[in-house]
Amino acid sequence: MKIRSAAVFSLVLFLSLLIASPAAFSAEKEIKIGVLYPLSGALATIGRDLQRAAEVTADIINNKAPGVDIPMAQWGGIPNLGGAKIKLIFKDHRGEPDRGADLAKSLILDDKVVGLMGAYNSAVTKTVSAVAERYGIPMINDSSTSPDLTERGFKWFWRTTPHDNYFNRDLFELLKGLTEGKVKGVKAVPKKNLQNLAYACENTEWGSSVAKSIEGYAKEYGFTITKGLLYNANAPDLTSEAKALVAAKPDAMLFAAYLSDSLLMIRTLKGMKAQTKFFWGQDAGFEMADFAKTLGADINGVLTRTVFIDKITKVKKVAGQVNAIYKAKYGDDLTGATARSVVGVQAWAYVLNKAASTDPKAIQKACNEINIPADELVMPWAGVKFDAKGQNVLGRGLIGQYQKTTDGKVSLEIVYPFDLATANFIYPFPGWK
Amino acid sequence: MLIADALLQGILMGLLFALVSLGLTVIFGVMDIVNFAHGEFLMLGMYSVYWANFFFHIDPLIALPVSAVVGVLLGLASYYWFIKYLLRGPAIAQLFGTFGLMLFLQYFAMFLFSADYRMIDKGILVGKSLSVGPFIFDWTKLAAGILSLVAFAVVYYFLHKTKTGKALQATSLNKEAASYMGIRTDRMNAIAWAIGGGTVGMAGGMLVNFYYAYPMVGILFVMIAFACVALGGFGSIKGVFFAGLLIGILEMIFPVFGHLIGSDFLGPHFKFTIVYLAYFIIVVVRPQGLFGWKN
Repeated sequence: MKIRSAAVFSLVLFLSLLIASPAAFSAEKEIKIGVLYPLSGALATIGRDLQRAAEVTADIINNKAPGVDIPMAQWGGIPNLGGAKIKLIFKDHRGEPDRGADLAKSLILDDKVVGLMGAYNSAVTKTVSAVAERYGIPMINDSSTSPDLTERGFKWFWRTTPHDNYFNRDLFELLKGLTEGKVKGVKAVPKKNLQNLAYACENTEWGSSVAKSIEGYAKEYGFTITKGLLYNANAPDLTSEAKALVAAKPDAMLFAAYLSDSLLMIRTLKGMKAQTKFFWGQDAGFEMADFAKTLGADINGVLTRTVFIDKITKVKKVAGQVNAIYKAKYGDDLTGATARSVVGVQAWAYVLNKAASTDPKAIQKACNEINIPADELVMPWAGVKFDAKGQNVLGRGLIGQYQKTTDGKVSLEIVYPFDLATANFIYPFPGWK
Repeated sequence: MLIADALLQGILMGLLFALVSLGLTVIFGVMDIVNFAHGEFLMLGMYSVYWANFFFHIDPLIALPVSAVVGVLLGLASYYWFIKYLLRGPAIAQLFGTFGLMLFLQYFAMFLFSADYRMIDKGILVGKSLSVGPFIFDWTKLAAGILSLVAFAVVYYFLHKTKTGKALQATSLNKEAASYMGIRTDRMNAIAWAIGGGTVGMAGGMLVNFYYAYPMVGILFVMIAFACVALGGFGSIKGVFFAGLLIGILEMIFPVFGHLIGSDFLGPHFKFTIVYLAYFIIVVVRPQGLFGWKN
């Protein structure tokens, strides 16, 4: 009798537990997010770094990270989804738009992902997001900066990073700042000394849209473009491109280059002893860890627009904490590209938590309403909040300058925005040794 | 002035392209095999000098023989352990076989060395330039040009003046007749692969002085090498030399021409369009290539 009642009692207890807290039994549930990055081919290095940063962030959310002062680091899964873990499924699009679209389709139909993230190359993001739009699957884009991407009226596409128009405007603000004496450590430069600009941009979606934007802002801010050219980033030789730039004798040289072509371009320009006063790269290649590692002191004075500089960890606590985890694991500091990958996964976690569901409609609503406060981001942004087009309106860019340190290496110092500057600006560009 | 400068730079680049293509045309000439893995031999030549410099601090210029040896060994290993077996199958097997070898070497390199870009930052010639009047030359490119001239002279001498070279030519003209004459064609094939591997390995060793090494670098240069070989005439040493020069010059002159007439349309982004257009025209007008004799 005693045994029987005990058995009945435990059965009832078990059943009531089952009914009362479904979450307890679905705790091991996984939420699949498809992530598309270029993991092989010419962009394999950056793809690998992006993947690492995304994995580190998912790990912080899924398995808690006591030393990180962001609420999600104490979640151990998505709280409103019964502690479900985020599972990132990585796919390699090799920088090929058609391949990206095929992979997106297979992620949606075969892997049944809840949403998509990626794809770094703007051209690939364009096709991938078109697939997501067709199937009504939400996509959060972490690191593609072609402005056109959020001008297409898509209902299932959101972008956390500021886009190139923000960054190009920053460049012209810096140029203007130089002529007005606002830059730390430099007296006002007469505008005629900085009047003539020349640019060389790689000729895919991203580079050509940067070129277009530079042309536009140059007109608006009253500068002259003496030479503008587009080139193939996978060229075995950039001598003729570099010659054309040098022949234009510009006061400032502006670039939009991926890693391989940025290395080749700088080496080629150095070989020609190219002279200019102001040397700026629009992110991508210019701000990667390998850029500084490979070129070393040759890039003393080179500027790069970026969204993250490891110096930011001095002023932003959480950036330092996440960076420490990443660096302990992989040996490199976070960069503008990888830190945006962190924010991409973070945005997904917040959105899923807010939606409290994996239903696409609920996620769509959550995306449109999300508001991540500034102090929970590793980025120096005012937060994450999307406008009607899906663009985060609270992002802002940085411009960093590589400066030679006493031990012969280079470090990236913040020179713009002026209020965040961490070092005196080196002007004019010191040239090559 | 600009044109003269572009011409000189084009010749230097062209000599390098020709050196990269030399091995490809030798192998094709002797065996009628297109070695798709040619670019990967170049890549491994680059890595061999890079690592010799990285681990043993040998100057990249002095480490050049390392890349030649690596190239020769790679050529011989590919031939004896792989290509020899492919010869038993149909021609398509050889095509896919070397294509497979290309993929294998690419991903094996990625597995061993990771996808990182690697560049040599110190060396006798690295980053140094020579000013002659108004012209500025990269020392590394000058050295690559000189190496290319030497390599062509040696290979040309070997093929035309030595007994083995003549046997090699006989094999390429008519394999069966050559073997009836007592030429060991198997050995000739191996020699062709050794020359092919050695020259392209050296080209890689030179290239790493001014170009970054990464597992997929081969494809960039091998595309041009294919154009050189087809343009010059499959299997022709003289042909590949002049085709290389032609491509190098076209690639440099064209953007300068565009600059002079003030046209952005003729900018550098179309430079390889012109190169391949020239290739297309020659292939249509003269299918055997500039100096070709094989059908």
